[in-house]
Amino acid sequence: MSVNRKVIAKNAYRITKTRNKTALRIRVPGGHLETKYFPLIQSIAEEYGNGTVHFTTRQGFEVPDIDFECIPEINVKIKPLIEALGLEMVVQDGGYPAAGTRNISACIGNRVCPYANDDTTKVAQNLEKAVYPHDFHFKIAVTGCPNDCIKAHMQDFGIICVTEPKYDASRCISCEACVKNCKKKVTGALTMKNYTVERDHDKCIGCGECILKCPTGAWTRSEKKLYRMVIMGRTGKKNPRLAMPFIKWATEEVITQIIKNTYRYVDKYIDRSLPKEHIGYIVDRTGYKVYKEEVLEGVVLNQEAKVAENIQWSGYWYNQEENFK
Amino acid sequence: MGYRLTTTRFDKYLTNLSETFDIYAPVVQKGKGMYSDTEVVGYGKITCFDEIVFDKKSYYSPKEVFYPIRETLFYFLNDELKEAPLDIRPIILFVRPCDINGIMRLDTMFLENGGIKDYYYLRRRQLLKFIMIECTEGFDTCFCVSMGTNKTDQYDGVIRVQDEKILFDTDDEKLLTSALEENPKEVFTPRFIEENKVKVTIPEPDLVTKDVFEHEIWTEYTQRCIACGRCNTSCITCSCFTMQDVKSSDNDHLGERRRVWAGCHVDGFTDMAGGHSFRSKNGEKMRFKTMHKINDYYKRFGTHMCVGCGRCDDVCPEYISFSKCINKLNDIISEGGSND
Amino acid sequence: MINPYLPRPYTLLNITKETEIDYTFKVAYKGSLIGGQFMELSLPGVGEAPISISDFDETSLDMTIRKVGRLTDQIFELKPGDKIYMRGPYGNGFDLDQFKGKDLTVIAGGTGLAPVKNLIRHFIMHQEEVQSLEILLGFKTPQDILFGEEIKKWADQCPTYLTVDQRAEYWNGLTGLITKHVSLLNLENIKEKTAVVVGPPIMMKFMTLELLKQGFLEENIWVSFERKMSCGIGKCGHCKIDETYVCLEGPVFNYIKAKNLLD
Repeated sequence: MSVNRKVIAKNAYRITKTRNKTALRIRVPGGHLETKYFPLIQSIAEEYGNGTVHFTTRQGFEVPDIDFECIPEINVKIKPLIEALGLEMVVQDGGYPAAGTRNISACIGNRVCPYANDDTTKVAQNLEKAVYPHDFHFKIAVTGCPNDCIKAHMQDFGIICVTEPKYDASRCISCEACVKNCKKKVTGALTMKNYTVERDHDKCIGCGECILKCPTGAWTRSEKKLYRMVIMGRTGKKNPRLAMPFIKWATEEVITQIIKNTYRYVDKYIDRSLPKEHIGYIVDRTGYKVYKEEVLEGVVLNQEAKVAENIQWSGYWYNQEENFK
Repeated sequence: MGYRLTTTRFDKYLTNLSETFDIYAPVVQKGKGMYSDTEVVGYGKITCFDEIVFDKKSYYSPKEVFYPIRETLFYFLNDELKEAPLDIRPIILFVRPCDINGIMRLDTMFLENGGIKDYYYLRRRQLLKFIMIECTEGFDTCFCVSMGTNKTDQYDGVIRVQDEKILFDTDDEKLLTSALEENPKEVFTPRFIEENKVKVTIPEPDLVTKDVFEHEIWTEYTQRCIACGRCNTSCITCSCFTMQDVKSSDNDHLGERRRVWAGCHVDGFTDMAGGHSFRSKNGEKMRFKTMHKINDYYKRFGTHMCVGCGRCDDVCPEYISFSKCINKLNDIISEGGSND
Repeated sequence: MINPYLPRPYTLLNITKETEIDYTFKVAYKGSLIGGQFMELSLPGVGEAPISISDFDETSLDMTIRKVGRLTDQIFELKPGDKIYMRGPYGNGFDLDQFKGKDLTVIAGGTGLAPVKNLIRHFIMHQEEVQSLEILLGFKTPQDILFGEEIKKWADQCPTYLTVDQRAEYWNGLTGLITKHVSLLNLENIKEKTAVVVGPPIMMKFMTLELLKQGFLEENIWVSFERKMSCGIGKCGHCKIDETYVCLEGPVFNYIKAKNLLD
């Protein structure tokens, strides 16, 4: 049979290890889905696949064991779900794009989690609208707080929702719950001076724990939603590493613009001799300074935002297995 | 006899009252909830009817309006002490019957206990008038009926809100203004809630012996309570405070002494200079508070301190229910109080 | 309306070093006092704390203070002539009348001697007012002994036993915990004897148990509690034990009452 592997992969289907069999991938931006779509996924799995579904690490569904010739039929059936997920904008070849920029995943966020500083699914969905679809291989995730349950530090772009805590001394009873907690669990950004808490803004990571710990509401959240973005984390067979902070106290608008600009940067610097090149390696090649200049071009930073002067990524190289020598 | 008002008319009345009073009521504080994108209902200044929240209980009690969380007692400059001036206007407080009863408990502590009137409490308290919010339904965690605090006549005005209709009554001359009297009269006798979902049985104070101090019920709370102090800070009747002295950051000779709320559930409450402290286990703190609210206070003043507002249940991050604790204690005591 | 929270300035007359960390501050003061009462002592801007009155006469009062924190550190920097702020006196203190005509034993551990010093001094001077007087005192080390010179004078007037917890160089006196030395006391006619016990919570607990074991009657034992009162007037809640406010009904309690005050 004849299959255009490139087209297939760009769309929602993939090459599998079984000849003539494909798998349908459904991205779920922000990882939150109305259960009314489950019967549809179930029926596709049972009718066209083998009655199983895999939850992907990026929070999508993968329905395996589907015949290539069923693709057009499935595309018709899956349409309502694709539309509901806001992915309908480019319905070409009767399918929809899935590869390239991966599903933007999110932790449960403030729809459930007390620690979350934002509705991470909403942030992911907003971002999805801004960047989807795209051929370049970007991995983006949104996490509700610096606990980073979604592992934003393993992404090309990890967005960490934060809040800038506001302190009303007139409500403070000097119980030090916030101070002790920050010291024990976070960065020790809070100190008690003259029975009043002082917050070291440079040390504060905006996790919002002080607000949660306060028994009188002396600590409250900033009206503005702010984000820390860590960049160029990765796994893979060369140099796995954690993402490092690029910008903190930035608005959604600013981080969206930076990610969009990164597509332009990749387009300009990518090594097209390779089947694909991950952004992190491009940044390694051009250097951080070039990257920073390119992606901040035209971005109007909000007043609170602060960009990293320099970044040294850690991680290790598989080809230097020092520990085993 | 009361007055029937439309919201527009009531707003006019409030505007009229605002000439003399600052008016405080439960209001929605948007974005001020502990969690992101949440609101909290707390006491705040209002100017119109729509701001008043009638269908929810406030997270914090109204006590902060007249018993500030932090209150400067006096300033000092070198050897001279200067009493902190009171720069507030008379206050009207929209409150439910349970909270009015709670404020009576605070009055007892601050104005009767020990025989000396608390100067700073009194000077604010004197400026307070209550508009009772008629409360006939209550909320999930309320147990005012069990505490006998569902009713009161200690109010200066009373309001009923029913289907966009406002009934208001007062016989207070300061509240009886032309903006009220121009409204049609209607018979209005305030009703009180007669039954809560939660009921408690207070152990007979005479039967509460020291044996129950050793009961394992408190061990359970040692495991559960995290000593955050929310039950104290949200309570309408918790009255404890601590002194704080502060010097101005740039002038050593200038400063103030203030008092701030303190709570028996918060670590450090019993700390003495030199390091000794009492009730270090959180279950012991729970026992102390429980006894204060439903036993000790009664022995001094003949009423129970707790008014069953249920706020401590509402705010506890560990889902410790005070009403449940009271009932458990009662079961233990009525069964003889031993661990078996 | 009286503002009970406003302290008044008083002049510091004299400072006596008792130990490295305990000084006695003599303050000019006129007014009626009872030994064992306490003052809310403060330095504006530094803090306020309850301090028991260790002794007094017509024109002054003494407070023996241990250097244990922010406020007391500052107080230790003061010089005679400086101003110190006080409000009070608060609490009941030791009513001398109730000890008159008794066989009185005063037992004090460490800084617990301060609140009973006036009581001891009074009955040393007026031995005719009591049937008998005995004193048992305990300190951690010889360096911790308070009112050392006066204790020597007391010893000339009545049976006085002084022990330190552990054997120490240049110490020929008694050693061992104070509770070990109860047997030194005259235990005859014990049911008629009256005891005053003041010291750290642990010491008071075990000493009262020991006295009861020896045969003292509960109603003849008196203790004094220490708590961190913020107000002194029954409002702040810090000294509350059960339905009792130490600042109002105490700090001196009869054992019948004290045994039921459980923290």
